[in-house]
Amino acid sequence: MGGPARLIINCISERKLDLGSVAQQVRTLLEGLESRYSRYQAGSIVSVINQRAGSNIFTEVDPETQALLDLAGRLWDASGGLFDVTSGPLRQAWDFRADGSADPTRVDSALPLVGWEQIEWRGSSLRLPTAGMEIDLGGLAKEYAADSAISLMRNLNVISALIELAGDVATIGDSEDGKPWRVGIRDPVSAGSLCTVQLSNAAIATSGNYARRIDHDGKRYGHLLNPKTGWPVEGPTSVSVLDSHCLTAGAVATVACLHSEKDARTWLEHAALPWLMVSSKDKRSGPIADRFAAPA
Amino acid sequence: MALVQPEAAVAATESGTLFQLPSPSPLMRRLGGPLLALPTYQIGTALADAPPAFTEVGLRYSHYSEDSIDQDVVIFGALDRYDIDVTQLWIEAPVGASWSVALDVQNDYQTGASPWFVGAQQDGDPGVIMSGASIQDNRVEVGVTTRYFWADGNAGFAVTHSDEDDYEATALAFDASWNTADNARTWSTSFSSSRDTLNPSQGVIPVFITEEDLDTQSGYFGVSQILSRTAIARIGLSYTLSEGYLSDPYKLRDQRPDTHERLSLSAGYRRFLIDADASLQIDYRYYADSWGTDSHTVELAWAQNLRGSLLTPYARYYTQREADFFSVIADTEPQHYADDYRLSSYGAVTLGARWAVALGESWTLELEAERYMTDADWGVFDGKVAPALVDFWRGTVGIIWRFD
Repeated sequence: MGGPARLIINCISERKLDLGSVAQQVRTLLEGLESRYSRYQAGSIVSVINQRAGSNIFTEVDPETQALLDLAGRLWDASGGLFDVTSGPLRQAWDFRADGSADPTRVDSALPLVGWEQIEWRGSSLRLPTAGMEIDLGGLAKEYAADSAISLMRNLNVISALIELAGDVATIGDSEDGKPWRVGIRDPVSAGSLCTVQLSNAAIATSGNYARRIDHDGKRYGHLLNPKTGWPVEGPTSVSVLDSHCLTAGAVATVACLHSEKDARTWLEHAALPWLMVSSKDKRSGPIADRFAAPA
Repeated sequence: MALVQPEAAVAATESGTLFQLPSPSPLMRRLGGPLLALPTYQIGTALADAPPAFTEVGLRYSHYSEDSIDQDVVIFGALDRYDIDVTQLWIEAPVGASWSVALDVQNDYQTGASPWFVGAQQDGDPGVIMSGASIQDNRVEVGVTTRYFWADGNAGFAVTHSDEDDYEATALAFDASWNTADNARTWSTSFSSSRDTLNPSQGVIPVFITEEDLDTQSGYFGVSQILSRTAIARIGLSYTLSEGYLSDPYKLRDQRPDTHERLSLSAGYRRFLIDADASLQIDYRYYADSWGTDSHTVELAWAQNLRGSLLTPYARYYTQREADFFSVIADTEPQHYADDYRLSSYGAVTLGARWAVALGESWTLELEAERYMTDADWGVFDGKVAPALVDFWRGTVGIIWRFD
């Protein structure tokens, strides 16, 4: 899923816990999810849908994929179209990989291939009507994988664990010392952390425009793209959101980063979850920043 | 609909200030809706309130059979006591995103004899005069419940009407429950009001009223608290007031007060035992009323998950103190009197088991059997021994079908 993974499980002495087995089952789960949702794996459901773009073949999706696509649809609707899992073709114009480049002249040809509303549904089957269209569930699958790993470990009687997938963290119970897990929120500007939050049975996800950037015509652009204009958004540098589940925290953070800073604030207030936003001018705001600044 | 929050999900800043994760906002409920279908977001102990995902149709039949009364304590009359066949049919279905509606129809068919009054045998011991010829009675009850669900709770309104040859009752009931922001605590309340009308049948037993009414109002308030991932406890208090005709018209010497106040305090504890894949259930109820009766009920149950089924053996102990106006042979001089064994001091033990078997994804078979036994000596309260204490068997078979 394009990032490092870290798993910590605490073994409480009176519990019969085969740590190796738990870790292996988590690994198998993550690999399974990656094989289902990675657009880089030819056999994934996402790749199958994308390969059939422009054909008349509908692809039936399983209830899990259906639920993730339903969430994608609701995020598209709630964000006014800014969150769009069909934005992939815009990579023709904006290549954010290492040594990537920008060619905005290709935006116009890519934009017709973008649009959640173009997806055709027949019950639980869908079709991308135009060749070249694609969907990418990577933005949801990583956080969903963290939640799934937490759920699996709970079912295996784990009562203390932390999983981190590319910076997003979900936890079970408290850490080894009986206190909540201490998790740092990365400073998007420097290499350090902005602050540390303590999590117990909670998750934190961070989305931002800082990790992958490219320069074009003397201006630096972040990797989050506006599917309506085809150009990178000029929103917050990063947004971190706390929730009981990583997927919902990540979805809220991602949509916030697609908005302007003012609209992001409104969106986050509607979500009513604890959040921290770092503006393009490195100003920190939100309930987490306020509490962090408050005297203990 | 809101996603389930894991137990006491909290986050804090380094400075120590806590974020108790709030009740989901309308936006988060909307976003979380599709995820409720995924096992990852189902924790089991604290589901967000939502209408049932399926339509449920159920049919259940119970047979209740009282043991024949001991001939040694009968002065006159039939020895066979009540047999009751209860047939229940119900359907509950979701309506839209926030409502459900349920229809419940029940038919009770009752035959047998019951104690008419208690007199003295030749040796001076109390003896029972039974009602003689077997009584046959049929009761039909129809109830409709509509329920509204929101993210943090639900509220229901029910109308029930019951009709039999000599008795008619109509009841209205309202109940509501709501969850706290962390989904760890649920508050519940209910209110009900009923009007009963008695038109006793003139038969083998003479009755001395033609029509009487009874009004009953009842209220309940309770709370359940998730204590951990594997334990939940609840406590509740209920109060009931009945006013009107409260005597039994089919008993010769039965003159009860025309008001009856009842108070009960109930508590329960459930603990899931992971290694055993089972749960231990402990329930207690204390009851006291304005007639001088009070009682204790303790129930222990063990719900064992088996492959595709749930087996729950249980044992219940009950003991009550006799009513102020009870006497074994009723003395009709005071204003109130009764010789009904149900108002005496006694103890009772119930042993039973329920077995719910999943038959594929859509069908569930339910079986239950229980044995109820009473004895004046099993009680913890002093009192005079009533001669007609009853033992019974009850067996139930049910089938439930759930579909989209």
